[in-house]
Amino acid sequence: MSDFKLDELDIKILRMLQGDARKPFQEIAEHCGVSTDTIKNRFNTMTKKGLIRGTTIVIDPKEVDQNLIVSIGIQVTNPYAEQVLALVKKITGMCVVTRSVGRYDIEAVAILKDIEQINTIKNTIGDFQQVKNVDIEIWVDKPLLCPKNFEFEETRQ
Amino acid sequence: MKLDAIDTTILDMMKKDARISLREIARLLKVSPDTISNRVEKLQQQGIILSSTVVVDPTQIGYSFITRFGINVKPAYATQVLEKIIKIPSVIIASRVVGNYDLVAIGVVKNFQHLYTLRDIILEMPYVENVELGMWINTMEICPHYFLI
Repeated sequence: MSDFKLDELDIKILRMLQGDARKPFQEIAEHCGVSTDTIKNRFNTMTKKGLIRGTTIVIDPKEVDQNLIVSIGIQVTNPYAEQVLALVKKITGMCVVTRSVGRYDIEAVAILKDIEQINTIKNTIGDFQQVKNVDIEIWVDKPLLCPKNFEFEETRQ
Repeated sequence: MKLDAIDTTILDMMKKDARISLREIARLLKVSPDTISNRVEKLQQQGIILSSTVVVDPTQIGYSFITRFGINVKPAYATQVLEKIIKIPSVIIASRVVGNYDLVAIGVVKNFQHLYTLRDIILEMPYVENVELGMWINTMEICPHYFLI
């Protein structure tokens, strides 16, 4: 963990940008009762320190031709998890692939076009020799995203 | 809704930098800034752009790992429980699913005490029958293109 400490103003800025990344700095400045330059400086500092990685829009993947989000749980014969992880990472459509502790040894989230592709992926993974079992969860409806749920208070000491 | 080349360029550029000036996108595509702002407005109205957010590094604000919660609920109550789960601080994404579980939620966790608390909050919700955890190792990123941390 870094030793970078957030103060109240930083947190206010982050909170406002979490809900709307395009909010003009001027508006944030007015709300916080400081100058626009102050906000700009704080934003740039937090970006330079790596606390802010960037800003992005949240797109509904279902609207852009990619209809299905699935989570994948994989059970692997020890000690081949790293090997399988490397192979799974190469499959197209994967957006997270990670080692995991719990029921599965590897978990992944993928965004796919159709049911057929799910089947292909399940077979591809199942075909790796060291894989014992593959479970797939298909996400239905719109996933609810809540980037606002980070709590920043923790670093204020 | 069918997206054309202008729409997809807008989406691509805003995915990388939500604060990009619309004027700059307009210059690149050689169309008027008004066209771009109309398109952006339309993309928002149609629900293609759901929202915009600042991407923070969770490890810099006290979080240590990501946990995936697999949740079983009494049939017919999944949506009701989902709406409560997404309101829990630290849960960043949740969805109904078809498979072993009825709901999947992904959250950022500070430490094991915090993990227990989160699990108990979910377990104590009415209609929740079971919560299973998967703790992700060395991963603090969920697809930068689509969302989040």
